[in-house]
Amino acid sequence: GGVPMTKLAQWLWGLALLGSTWAALTTGALGLELPSSCREVLWPLPAYLLVSAGCYALGTVGYRVATFHDCEDAARELQSQIQEARADLARRGLR
Amino acid sequence: ATGTDQVVGLGLVVVSLIIFTYYTAWVILLPFIDSQHVIHKYFLPRAYAVTIPLAVGLLLLLFVGMFIT
Repeated sequence: GGVPMTKLAQWLWGLALLGSTWAALTTGALGLELPSSCREVLWPLPAYLLVSAGCYALGTVGYRVATFHDCEDAARELQSQIQEARADLARRGLR
Repeated sequence: ATGTDQVVGLGLVVVSLIIFTYYTAWVILLPFIDSQHVIHKYFLPRAYAVTIPLAVGLLLLLFVGMFIT
């Protein structure tokens, strides 16, 4: 039997398939007569997918920052423990 | 999340939605709208739909590259 494909290999394979389909359609290598409005949508598609992926990434980051569950009690406790430790070390003559 | 975290997060979500909507209209919808329609006034020539993201991408790469050298 064969070795299962890694995720990277799957992504590259998918990209290669999509890319060659797009190239074939845009250059007219398949000899298809597409309506001009379809061709107009087709040629910027790679850029469109990249920009959309970027927007999705940015939006996801923003959403997760806004909805992050802070633990305010734990944060306060940690800060006071830091102060304690600092005071303790200062007492022992260490900075 | 509190305070500035929520504001910044929400801001990012809104910005990404605005960019996505405008860009989708520019690339996907405009070719199907009659060229005499007034909406075309709000969009640059479509060649910029590729060159502007390309330039921005290059700038981002340069910016990240600054931290490598």
